[in-house]
Amino acid sequence: MDFYMDLFFKQIFGQPFLLMAIVVFIGYIAMKQPISKALSGSLKAAIGILIMGMGSGALIVNFGKLLKALQDSTGIQGAGLNTYPTMMNAYEKMEAVLGAGTGASWGIYTLLGAFVFNLLLVALRKYTKIRAVFLTGNVMIVQAGISTYIVWRFLGLDMLPTVLIAAVVTALYWGIMSTLLIKPTQAVTNGADFTVAHQQMFMNYLAWKLAPHLGNPADDIEKKKMPASLSFLQDSIVATALVMFISVAIILLVISNDQTEWLRSVAGLGQPVLKNNFIFIAWISFILTASIVVLLFGVRMFVGELMLSFKGISDKLLPGAVAGVDCAAIFAFAPKSVVLGLLFGTVGQLLGLLGLLVMSSSIFIVPGFIPLFFDNATIAIFANKFGGWKAAAGICTVNGLIQIWGSVLAVKMMDMTWWQGSADYATIWVAIIAIFRAIGAMLGIPVAG
Amino acid sequence: MVNILCVCGNGMGTSTILKINIQKICVENKVDAGVESCSFSEAMTYLPSIDIVITSPEWAEMLPPSRATVATVKNLIDTAAVSKALLDIVREKFPDEINV
Repeated sequence: MDFYMDLFFKQIFGQPFLLMAIVVFIGYIAMKQPISKALSGSLKAAIGILIMGMGSGALIVNFGKLLKALQDSTGIQGAGLNTYPTMMNAYEKMEAVLGAGTGASWGIYTLLGAFVFNLLLVALRKYTKIRAVFLTGNVMIVQAGISTYIVWRFLGLDMLPTVLIAAVVTALYWGIMSTLLIKPTQAVTNGADFTVAHQQMFMNYLAWKLAPHLGNPADDIEKKKMPASLSFLQDSIVATALVMFISVAIILLVISNDQTEWLRSVAGLGQPVLKNNFIFIAWISFILTASIVVLLFGVRMFVGELMLSFKGISDKLLPGAVAGVDCAAIFAFAPKSVVLGLLFGTVGQLLGLLGLLVMSSSIFIVPGFIPLFFDNATIAIFANKFGGWKAAAGICTVNGLIQIWGSVLAVKMMDMTWWQGSADYATIWVAIIAIFRAIGAMLGIPVAG
Repeated sequence: MVNILCVCGNGMGTSTILKINIQKICVENKVDAGVESCSFSEAMTYLPSIDIVITSPEWAEMLPPSRATVATVKNLIDTAAVSKALLDIVREKFPDEINV
């Protein structure tokens, strides 16, 4: 008996790479696809999970060295803002207590549970008013993983209750927020039949409601001229490397020479040859970017397969549901707002970082391109549509600031070295974390890890 | 086989949905196609082996010159518009890849 328990629960259903392969396989079979397609799809999903692990492993180790140098030198705790590393960090913290593979497999169960709850909420739309199905697999897996960690950290429950609670909370967030955005998304896209399902939905909603009071929709940036040379900033690899370069340069300026030498040594990042600091900074920022690119490559390999299943199941079971898709789907409708959002979001984040220094915060944030760009671009599109460019500029500046300060609050409560940093995870999710923490404290449950 | 590449900024959300939709369009219209998706940054690596690129107008402008035919669609989620843009090119340039 023990032999089979171990085989099934630890070696198969507790191993993320096999679990994802099984999920994808079932998805293909449910959509009546040929076995050969189902097999190659699940093989790619399994390999994708392992590639993601390689990218994030390298990223977390190297970034960890940088943060250690910062902490040893200044006492400041650092945290990076990026989506997938946050999920991997959450998995890692669970696995440190529960054993290898647990964090990731609990997270995947939460993802599946939340998707089923989301479908249920839409099936009962007569009562729930929820009409949108989240199909953005790339953000769903991250959000489900983080929810799992939040619930487990503060309530310390076993797998089943942890997964159920996390799935319900996540599904409600998905369903409610993306349904609220159906109307403004249609206005932005001239009636396209989808809604935004991402991680700045609360801010999009606020932008829709507040922008008319802050500006005039007639000041539409899309009708104005803007230099095209700024577009290169949208290239995610270039921009990630750039943001990393600036952040790493700041950290190396702040830490002592001893710590810089330690970083260069074999105990640190193992680059004793790179004695020139400029080259060393370039190497660090490029190696971190390279790890993120590897990570994203892995994610893409299984997320495509996963989204295929989700979309097939949703189309079949709930043909009338509104599809919730990635925020970037609306970018082509307002390309100038996208650049405007990136610029003013950056201004806001810089102000936020400056604020941390002025208030001598015990936590420093290393900004990330994904939350900076995708959030502010999307928010700018909504704000510009309903209040013109001045409203968009104002709202994105404030949002950039909130992204930094809200993330500091989240990092404090979650004790992580990475955080999502997206607008919703600097606002409503901070509140959700605080609620779970309060419940845990009220019931006298020790923090699980 | 005609090789199709779906390109969006991060190569995650939009291009994945686009890939799923295009695979469906190709099956329905009996087009013998291989479909891949990627981010703008990675597009360069794929381009030499690609026949048709589908992306939004902004990314299309920034793509380097290649032998691929570039189709732009503003709403990449709009299956009807994607279908029209893609099938127009296939019928004009790759008529042999349609199995009647």
